[in-house]
Order: sequence, then C-alpha cells, then structure tokens
Amino acid sequence: MSEFHDDYPHYETMSNHDEAHGKAARKVLWKVFWVMLFITIFELAIGSMAPGHGWTGALWLKVLFIGLTVVKAAAIVLWFMHLGHEVKFFKYIILLPYITFILYAIFIILVEGVYSGYPRNVTRVDKIFIDQQKELKNHHGEEAQQTEATHGEEHH
Amino acid sequence: MAHVAEFDAKAAWDGGQSPFRVSYGKMMMWFFLVSDALTFGGLLVSYGFIRHKYAEVWPKAENVFTHFPFIEQHLPLAYVGLMTFILIMSSVTMVLAVEAGHRMDRRGVTVWMFWTIVGGALFVGSQAWEWYHFITGTHVGGPEGHGGAWRNVWDPATSKYVKEVYHGATMAVNEYGVPQFANYFFFITGFHGFHVFSGVIINLTIFLNVLKGTYEKRGHYEMIEKVGLYWHFVDLVWVFVFTFFYLL
Repeated sequence: MSEFHDDYPHYETMSNHDEAHGKAARKVLWKVFWVMLFITIFELAIGSMAPGHGWTGALWLKVLFIGLTVVKAAAIVLWFMHLGHEVKFFKYIILLPYITFILYAIFIILVEGVYSGYPRNVTRVDKIFIDQQKELKNHHGEEAQQTEATHGEEHH
Repeated sequence: MAHVAEFDAKAAWDGGQSPFRVSYGKMMMWFFLVSDALTFGGLLVSYGFIRHKYAEVWPKAENVFTHFPFIEQHLPLAYVGLMTFILIMSSVTMVLAVEAGHRMDRRGVTVWMFWTIVGGALFVGSQAWEWYHFITGTHVGGPEGHGGAWRNVWDPATSKYVKEVYHGATMAVNEYGVPQFANYFFFITGFHGFHVFSGVIINLTIFLNVLKGTYEKRGHYEMIEKVGLYWHFVDLVWVFVFTFFYLL
C-alpha cells in the first residue's frame, strides 16, 4: 500500500504505545475480565437455584439476565474490541445500523410471537403437535417437578 | 488515543486520509462482523419466536445438560459454565496479545496467542462432547430404568398401539422435549462452533506468522488486532447463546 500512497497516514501503528501506557491498559482489561467473570458466576448460581426458572420463570429474572448479558456484550465491544477508543463517527457507523435492525427484529418477534400464542391463531396442526408433545412420556421434566415439589414441602 | 485528539474532524472528509482513523483492513473486519452479527441476531430472534410459540412444551436446559466429564453426578449447567469461562478467558488472552502487539513485544504476542489457541481448541472439544451427550441421550434412569422417552405409536399391521422408545436428540425426535429445541440447538451452537473452529484455524495461521517474524518485519502487529476482533466477536455471540439457550 505504501508504494501507492507515500503520504497516507499509517493507521496500523497509531495505537502502538510504550510500556507505561501498556501497563495501564492491561490493568483496565483485567478489571473488565473480573467483572465479566463475576456476572457469569452470578448468572449460573441464580440460574441453577431459582425456583420455577426457565421460560416460565419470573419476568424480572428474565429481564435481569438479559440486562446482564447486554452489560457483558457492551464490555466486550467497548474494551476488548476497542470500539470505545475509535473515532465517534466510526462508532456510530458500526452501532447504529445494527441496533436499529435488531430493535426492529425484537419488536416484530414479540408482536408476532404474542399473536401466534393466542388460541384462535394456533393452527390445528400446531394444536395436535403440542398435545402430542404433552402426552410424550419422558422423565426429565418429572424429576425436576418432583424436586421442586419436595422443595416446596420443606418450606411449608 | 492521543492521536484522536490531534485529529481534525472538519478536514477528515476532504480526502487523503481515513475519516474513521482506521486502516482499510480493520474497517472491513468491523463491517464483516456487523453483517455476521445480523445473521446471528436473525437466528436468535427466530429461536425466540418458536420458543414463545411452543412455550408450554419447551424443555428446560437445566434438565437437558446435566453431565460433566469424568464425574458421574447430576450437575446442571456446570459444564456449560466451564465452557463459558474458557471462552471468556481466551478472549482475555487474545486482548493481551493485541496489547503486546501494540508494544511490539513479539514474545508476549507469541505466549498470549498460544493460550488463545489452546482455549479455543478446548471450547470446540467441549462443544463436541456436549453434542455427543445430547445426541446419545440417557440410557439409565427414568421410571423403567432405560432412560430416553417413549410414546405409543399406531401400528397398522397389528391394529394396535405399540410402545416406541427413543434416546437422545436428532433433527426429528428429541427425548427431552420438542424437536424444535434440538433443531435450534444444533443449528445455532453448530454455526457458532463453526465460527470458533475457523477462529482457531485463523489464529493458528497468524501464530505461525508471528513465529516466522512476519509482523516484526512489517513493523506493526495490526493483524493480531484484526483476528482479535473476530475472536472477540465469537465470544460476544456466545454470551447471547449462553443466555438464551441455557439461562432463560
């Protein structure tokens, strides 16, 4: 590239730094790592303990998990991928199109998902399928229900 | 960062320089990652729709993924927790390799790249192990002791219902619940696993270049930063897959 544009700025070396800057940068990175590790352990602990969890779990729990996930994602993008250090315009060109599209996708899926769940909108085939699945005998759910039931008895 | 301060935003669009203050390769890696993120976003959104639709018969992940290698105990979500830890850890070693590259520290880059590759390989191996267990299913436990799930199927030859037992999950049946769970699990974690696999191959290639001294000769280690972006993206996707598949 340099043989065509001798006066073109060398962006490749612009983020190079000396040992002192490197030490500060590493300190920040390790801090980000500990925060992410703590969030993951917290999520796992809550996720394997909370009663009635899963899709049927409490709404606030789901919102909390999604919120923590977004925090982790932001940490990865801003510090690990250095997007926080880029020029403002570059940040926007990466983030705005993506956030716009994904917010629309989430909006449309919530709307359509709610409509598809209404009994009058469930097709006959889906109804047959769901009934078949309910009749299916597997012990994985039963075990969990039994443990939940015994937990409940202990509490009362 | 110091360079950003010197940057005259008004003159940036007059030509002769990049208005984004990044090299062409890095910018294109970012654009690729945005498009790839849209693909994953689309997959997860479609997963969310199907999961809402079959919410009442959707299996719970903590009833499905209960195994841990070498330990014969009921440990829900423990192994996927370890996998997540390995991937976050390899993301940290990657960013440390990038930082070492900024100091032109060839030894540092070599060491941290090595551990990143080890972490990536461990993750792919763990995913293979998890797939193997999900496909094989359970052969012990349950009310009748042989694991799996069963249902009554109409047999036209004898005009009777006969019991059909099946183990594990395929694209057609799933002993843990609806087949859609298995379909989306195979597709999304498979697509992500393929990204991790290609990431390991790319990292390995760049690692060999570091050993050969290619970037020392070139005068900068920006290539580490570019493959690092890809590697962090793989971690980023896993954060979402982990939440939507295992936690919620």
